[in-house]
Amino acid sequence: MNRFLRWLGIAVVIFVAAPLVIVIPMSFSNARSLQFPPPGYWLGYYQAYFTDWSWLRPTWNSILIATATTVLTMVLVVPATFALVRHRFRGKGIADLMMLMPLAVPHIVMAVGYYSYFGAVGIVHTHLGVILAHTCLSVPIAFLVLSANLKGFDRTLERAALSLGASPTRTFIHITLPILRPGLIISALFAFIQSFDETVVAIFISGRDAETLPRKMFDSIRQEADPVIAVISTLLFLAVIVGVTAPLVIARIRNRRARLAAA
Amino acid sequence: MYKGYAMGNGIAKLTERTNLWPWLLLAPLAVYMAVFFLVPLIDVAIMSVTEPRPTLANYQRVLTGTLYLRVFLNTFMTAIMVTFACLLVGYPLAYLMASSKPRTATLILLLVTMSFWTSFLVRTYAWMVLLGTNGPIIWLLQLLGVQQPPQLLFTRFSSTLAMVHILAPYMVMNIYSVMRKIDPVLIRSAESLGAKGLALFRHVYLPLTAPGIANGSVLVFVICLGFYVTPVLLGSPREQMVAGLIGNQIDEFLAFGMGSAMAMVLLVVTLVILTIYHRRFGLDKLWG
Repeated sequence: MNRFLRWLGIAVVIFVAAPLVIVIPMSFSNARSLQFPPPGYWLGYYQAYFTDWSWLRPTWNSILIATATTVLTMVLVVPATFALVRHRFRGKGIADLMMLMPLAVPHIVMAVGYYSYFGAVGIVHTHLGVILAHTCLSVPIAFLVLSANLKGFDRTLERAALSLGASPTRTFIHITLPILRPGLIISALFAFIQSFDETVVAIFISGRDAETLPRKMFDSIRQEADPVIAVISTLLFLAVIVGVTAPLVIARIRNRRARLAAA
Repeated sequence: MYKGYAMGNGIAKLTERTNLWPWLLLAPLAVYMAVFFLVPLIDVAIMSVTEPRPTLANYQRVLTGTLYLRVFLNTFMTAIMVTFACLLVGYPLAYLMASSKPRTATLILLLVTMSFWTSFLVRTYAWMVLLGTNGPIIWLLQLLGVQQPPQLLFTRFSSTLAMVHILAPYMVMNIYSVMRKIDPVLIRSAESLGAKGLALFRHVYLPLTAPGIANGSVLVFVICLGFYVTPVLLGSPREQMVAGLIGNQIDEFLAFGMGSAMAMVLLVVTLVILTIYHRRFGLDKLWG
């Protein structure tokens, strides 16, 4: 059983990796349409991406929308997480459920709702509309990360500060926030990525003016499979590689430094 | 335990008495979610029975019309197939990780994590390249002497395969997190009692990993039911899934009533599955 499962596992590793890697050579291909292996290589489509406003504008929109979504999400989620993790009160169960609900609703259902609701209010096809919608979808993710961090928080540190005469506000600023910083950063990062990657709601409500990068990619893949998509895919994939490996590399450097300092 | 630390804390003491603090902290988010999450959802529910006229006709059509029933059935079958395939693919991979040296395990986990974080669109596009008429798989088939390679892209096969690839990381991570915690002593004692090969797997290892299988399967199944992007881009237009059909109703026909009624059916089915799951295991563990 062991040997069989392991070989199967190795086959699956290839299945997982190969499709991801293939976008890299595709981005340097000079073929006009999908063709692999590429007939030749050049950087033309990179140039096309970085000079074409029909690609740069959606990229900028996505950055703008994801940033605003992150700020709004954190402003709402941080106090709420403190309330839900540190206090017990009536209706807490419902509040907990409400935080997680957006994870349970298929995005296409929300897309229908936003399309009609924001249309009635007059903010469909605007940046504001997309930001408001994305914030709802980012809330549960930011909450899950932050509440896990807050549950593991050692409150004796706060009590020590209070007993030494620090005011509650001072304790919060000088003890609670610094300790919670990694959790806050990761939580914000997840909110950002959730918005930056969100496709379905954006397809229906971002329109031409607030068009996000995923929406532009979706339309482009659907219509003509513009080779520039390979460039964007490669850039996005590289960002993921950096994002995923960076924590490991940093941890390793820190370890080495700590060992050097000890020696 | 809670009371213990509330005693020493000035703020907590105050709030314990008045119990106003948590409400104040929660209020902005609660209002926000009510206005921007619940209202649009309720809007969908209302539209499903009022557009174009206030009747239940939309539901009648959705629940009895052959076209709609076929799409729902197709969605269900696809979701079952994808979940099963993810399990077949994910289980050996999780096992490989759990049984490898820490360094190898980290490397594979890194790979799975990368796949997980890579946009659905990027992975869908990659499959478009792989399965395309000028792609490597057709090329390989021709090299092997297949005269007329089959059409791979824009079929049920291509969208199912891509969904398996896209959703497999969810399965792997759920199963791996359970496998990692299995006490090796249990396996060794089973072996010392004479369990071997398939019997060891069936009676010891498989039951121990069942919670991970359940978690991963529910998650993959539910995501697959409402999947929009990949089936629309890679699938056959004649064999749509529910999400794609809902999109059509809104985008092309502006049939908000029908779109909403289908959305409500999809929502209810999803929520029923998740509620049953929540009762037994707790929802927060699913995404943890």
